[in-house]
Amino acid sequence: MTDARWLADPQVRRGAVITSWVVLVAVLGPWLAPHAPTAMVGPVYGPPTAGAPLGHDFLGHDLLSRLLSGGVSVLWMSVAAATLALLVGGSLGLLAGFSRRRLDQAISWAADVSLAFPDLILVLLIVSMLGRAPWLIVLTVAIAFTPGVIRLARGSAVAVAGQEFVEAAQMMGYSRWRILFNEILPNILTPLLVHFGNMLTWAVGMLSGLSFLGYGVAPPAADWGLMINENQAGLLVQPLAVLAPALLIAVFAYGTNILAEGIGRVSARIGEKQP
Amino acid sequence: MSELFSRRVFLGNSLAVGGGLLLGGGLLSGCDGGAPAATAGAAALAATPVHGGRLRVGIIDGDQAGNLDAHKPVGGGIIRGWALYAKFWEWNPDVSTRLALAEFAEPNADASAWIIRIKPGLEFHHGKSITADDMLFSILRLTDPQLASPFAGLVGAIDRQALRKVDPRTLEIRFKHGQSFYPLDETLISFGGIVPTDYHPVTNPVGAGPYKLKSFIPGQRSLYTRFENYYKPNRPYADELEIIEFKDQVSRAAALRAGQLDVASGVQAEHSALLKADPRLRLYASPSTSFTGFNLNLAKAPFQDVRVRQAFRLLADRQELVARGLNGFGRIANDLYSPHDPTYNHALAQRPYDLDQARSLLRQAGQDDLRVELTTTPGPGVNAALVFAQQVQKAGVQVKVNQVDGSVFNGPQREQWQLSPGSTPARGFLASALHNDAPQAIYNRSNFHDPRFTELFHQALAQPDLERRKALVHEAQVIQHERGGLLIWGFSDVLDAASAKVGGLAPEQTTFASWRFDELWLNHA
Amino acid sequence: MPDHAHRSPRTPAWLAWFIGRLGYGLLTAWVISLVVFIATQALPSDPARVILGPDAPLQSILTLQQQLGLDQPILVQYLRWMGAALRGDLGISLDSQVPVAQLLFGRLGHTLALLAGVLALVVPLALTLGVSLALRRDRPLDRWGLSALILLKATPSFLLAVGLVLLFSMPGMGWLPAVSILDPQLPLWRQLPSLVLPVVALSLSALPYLTRMVRASMIEALESDYVVAARLRGIPERLIVWRHTLPNALTPAIQGVALTLRTLVGGALLAEVIFSYPGIGTALNAAIQMRDLPMIQGVVLVITLAVVLINLLADLLTVLLTPKLRTARRVKMIRRNRRGIRPWWRRARSTPAQEATHD
Repeated sequence: MTDARWLADPQVRRGAVITSWVVLVAVLGPWLAPHAPTAMVGPVYGPPTAGAPLGHDFLGHDLLSRLLSGGVSVLWMSVAAATLALLVGGSLGLLAGFSRRRLDQAISWAADVSLAFPDLILVLLIVSMLGRAPWLIVLTVAIAFTPGVIRLARGSAVAVAGQEFVEAAQMMGYSRWRILFNEILPNILTPLLVHFGNMLTWAVGMLSGLSFLGYGVAPPAADWGLMINENQAGLLVQPLAVLAPALLIAVFAYGTNILAEGIGRVSARIGEKQP
Repeated sequence: MSELFSRRVFLGNSLAVGGGLLLGGGLLSGCDGGAPAATAGAAALAATPVHGGRLRVGIIDGDQAGNLDAHKPVGGGIIRGWALYAKFWEWNPDVSTRLALAEFAEPNADASAWIIRIKPGLEFHHGKSITADDMLFSILRLTDPQLASPFAGLVGAIDRQALRKVDPRTLEIRFKHGQSFYPLDETLISFGGIVPTDYHPVTNPVGAGPYKLKSFIPGQRSLYTRFENYYKPNRPYADELEIIEFKDQVSRAAALRAGQLDVASGVQAEHSALLKADPRLRLYASPSTSFTGFNLNLAKAPFQDVRVRQAFRLLADRQELVARGLNGFGRIANDLYSPHDPTYNHALAQRPYDLDQARSLLRQAGQDDLRVELTTTPGPGVNAALVFAQQVQKAGVQVKVNQVDGSVFNGPQREQWQLSPGSTPARGFLASALHNDAPQAIYNRSNFHDPRFTELFHQALAQPDLERRKALVHEAQVIQHERGGLLIWGFSDVLDAASAKVGGLAPEQTTFASWRFDELWLNHA
Repeated sequence: MPDHAHRSPRTPAWLAWFIGRLGYGLLTAWVISLVVFIATQALPSDPARVILGPDAPLQSILTLQQQLGLDQPILVQYLRWMGAALRGDLGISLDSQVPVAQLLFGRLGHTLALLAGVLALVVPLALTLGVSLALRRDRPLDRWGLSALILLKATPSFLLAVGLVLLFSMPGMGWLPAVSILDPQLPLWRQLPSLVLPVVALSLSALPYLTRMVRASMIEALESDYVVAARLRGIPERLIVWRHTLPNALTPAIQGVALTLRTLVGGALLAEVIFSYPGIGTALNAAIQMRDLPMIQGVVLVITLAVVLINLLADLLTVLLTPKLRTARRVKMIRRNRRGIRPWWRRARSTPAQEATHD
C-alpha cells in the first residue's frame, strides 16, 4: 500500500538491509556450513585456525558451522511468537472494542491483570514447568506479549471508530463487518505493524535471555541463544563462541527495531500530510 | 584425535599435579599410604600454617539454597556440614576411612554388629559434653522415617530398636533381620554428624565440627567462628569461616579473580587454563575415583539383551568422552567402579573401543537400526551424553538426548528411563554398589538383578576380612564386567582453586579436598 | 465502583477514583496469586522430589509430601496459604526451612536499593539527554543520539550485564567489584561499590525508552501555543525551556517512569542472576527451579503488589499534576483506558430510544 513511501526513508532502508542480511545468513546458513552443526571436529574450545576461522566450542563443534545453522530457530521462533501475539491479541482487542460493554470489560481487565505481571517472570514460570519444547516456548512468549497487543488494538480501534469517516460510513448504512474491514482495520494496521517490529526485538531478547538462564531450546540443536548459554563457561577462554552469536542476535534485534521505528515515523508523517 | 590427545596431556602436565593425576588407561592402585604423593604448586608456600583471619570459601549450590541439617543435608548443606558437624569417622585422602570422634569402631566377626566408642572429654559447640545419649539420639534421628531423608536408603539397614548403649561413651549398632553390614563407616560418614539431644536444624544447629555457626542466610552465605574445643588440637586455623553461595561458575570465577574469595570449591574444567594463568591463584586437581557413565536399563528393550549392552560398551570411545565430556580432566574406566578399593579386580582387561565388534553384536541381536532415548537432567552430564550420541551414530544407532527437569527425572517414572547418565562420588566397592546396582541399592536405574551377584554381595557384606572379601568382590566384578547394566567410561577429576595465600589444600583422591575446613589456613598477614 | 462517587459532593472525585483503583489493584494481585498457585500445583512438578534429589527412597518422598501438605487438595492448600498470608505469614521455604517473610525482607530491600539507584541515575540522565536532543531536533547530534539509543534498546539487556562482569574481572580492573556479593553483616550503604555495576547495566537498558519519551513530549510542548506566545513576549529561551516547557512535558514522563519501573522489576531478575546480586529476582529464579512453592508465591505476591502500587502512584501523580483532572467533577474523565469517545455502535445499543430518533 505505502511500500514505496516507506522505502524512501533512509532509516527504513537501513533497517530493511540489516534485517534481510541477518535473515539471509540464518536461512542460507545451513547450506553454507562446512560441517554438520553436531559434528565434533576439533578440540574443546579450540582457538581459530585456518580450517575453522572462528574456532571451536564447548564440545569441539565447528563454531562457524554452528553459527550458520543456529539462526533459523531464533528467526522462526521470534517471528512465530510475535505473529501469534499479533493475531490473537489483535482479534481479541478488536473483539473487545466492538462488543458489548460486559465482554469488553472482561477482556480489558484480563489484559490489565496480565500486564501487572512482569512478562519475563511469566515466561520463566511456564517454561520451567512445562518443559522446553520450541513450540511451547513460542507459545509462552506469545502469551506474554498478547495483553499489550490487546490494549493497543482495542485502543486504536475505539479511537478510529469515533472519527468522522467512520460515522459517515455508518450513516451510509454499511454493515458493521464492512466498516470493520474497510474503514477501521486499515487505519489501525500501522500502529500494529510498528508494535509487531517492537515485539520481534523483544522476542529476540527474551528468547536469548531464556536460553541464557538455561530455559531455552534444548541441545544438541544449534541456536544462537543456546550457544551463548552452552559456551558461557568458556567465555574467558574462547570468547568468540559467545560473542559471535550475541553479536548476530543484537544485529538482528537492531535491524528489526529501526525498521519498525522507521515505518512508524514515515506513517506518522504521511498521517500528518493526509488531512 | 591426536590433536585432542596432545591437548589433554598438555593440560594434565601443566597442572603441576604430576603424580596424583594418572592419564589414559592407568588405574589407581589403591592407597599409597595416606596422602597422595603430589602436592600442587602450593609446595612453594611456607609450610607452617598461620592462625587467624577469615577464610572465604565460594561454593556453587545452583538454585538450591539448602539447609543446615546434619542428617539430611541438601544443596550446600552438605558442605556446610563439614564445618558444623564431626562424625565417628572421617575420610582419608585415598577414600578409606579413619577414626575421628570415635577411638574404637569395629564390627564383629560377621559384621552383624558394630561397637563404637568415642574419645573421652569431647564437647559440642555449646559446651555440653558428648555422651552415648547424644550418639543414640543422632543415630535415631538419622534413621527416623519422619525425617524424610534423601539418604534414608543408605542407613536403612540399621535396626532402630536394637541400638544399645553399652556404657556412657559406647554404642552398639545392629541391623534389621540380623543381617550383616560391613560398610557402615562409609555409609554413615557423610551424614552421620553427631549432634546433642537438644539439637534442632534451624533453631539450634549445634555439632562438634571445627566451626560453630554465627549466621546463616539461605541462598547467600553462612558465617562461622572457630570452635575452641575442637577434638583435634590446634585446629582449625582461621578465626572465621565464611561460605558464600554462587549460582553459576562464571560469576564465582570472576569473584575469585577479583579477590572477593579465597577458595573456590569445585571449579569448572573450562576455567582451569584461565585460573592457572593467574599468578595470584593456585589450581588443585584431585584425581578422584568418582565415576561417570550411563545406566543401561535392563528392564527395557533393547538392553535386556546382553549383546546390546556389550555393543554399547564397545561403542563408547572413552578417550574422546574424557577429552570432550570432562574437558580432559579425568581418566578412562573399565565399566567398574571403585578402582581405589583394595578389593578391586585389576585382572580384568580394559574394554577397548571396537566399532566392528559392536556392529556385529548389534546385528546378532537383530538391532541394526536401533533408536534409543537418553534421558538426562540439564547440567554437566549433558555434554557427555551429546558426545556419546555422536559416537554411537557410527554404528547406525540413533541416541536422542532428551533433557528433562529434575522433578521429572526423579519422578515416578525414574526407573523407566531407557538410558540415563549415572555417577557416584568416590566410595568403596560395597558403598558404591549400594548406590547403584546392589540387590538393596537405593537407586538401581539399570535394574540389574543377577542371582549369583546378589549371593556374592551378601557374602561380602558379612566379611570383614580383606582377603576373603577380595575373592568375593573379584567374582562379583567379573559378573558386572560381563553382563552388568552400567557403562562406566571415566573417572572425573575434581578441580579446586584458591588464592596463593591459602594453605592446607592438597589434591587427593576424594571429591572434597577443599571441604577440609579444619586443615585450611589463610596467610592473612 | 467509583461511578457513584460524584454524588457525594464533599470528597473530591479523584479520591473516590483512587479508592476504586486501589481495590482494583488489590483484586488484580489476588487473581494473579490464585493463577500462580493453580499453575504451580496443576503442572507436573513435585517439590518433594526436587528437594530430595535422585537418591531418595519413595518412602522419604511420600513422608515429605505429607509433611509439606502437598497431598492435600489444591483448594485446601490455597485456602490455607491465603489465610496465613492475610495474617502476614507467608509460610516456610521448602528449600531452606526458613520463613519466607524473613528471606524476602532482606532481599526486597536489596532489590529496592537497586531500583532506587537505577531511577536516581536514569531520570536525571534521561531528562538532560531528552531535552538536549529535543532542542537540537533533526540536527546531527539528535540523529546520532537516536541511533545510539535504538542500538542500546535493541541489545538484549543481559548481554550488557555479562559484558560488564567480564570487563571487571580482568586483572587491573579491581576498582569495582565484578560480582555483587553483599555482606549481610554490613549495612548496604557501606557496600555501595557493589551496586554500581548492576545499576549501570539496568540503567543502560532503561535509558532509551525514557529519553525518547522526554524528547517527544518536549518537542510537542515546544511547539505548543503558549511557548510560541512566550517567545513572542521575549522571555529568554533558557527560561522558556526549563521553567515553562519542561514541567508540562514531565506529566507524560511519570507514566514513562512507571512503565520503566514495571519492566525493571522483571528485568532485574536477569541482572541479579548475572551479578549474583541477592535480590528477589535471584530468589524467584531459584525458587522456580526448586519448586519452592511458598517462596514462589511470596515473591510473586510482592512483585504484583509492587507493580500495582507503582501504577497507582503514577496515576495519582498524573491526576494531581494535571489541573484539569485534579478539579474534575466527574470521575469518568480521569478513568484510565477510556478516551472519552463512545463508539457509534455502543451509543446505539445502550440507548435504543435514541436509535429510534436517529432513524
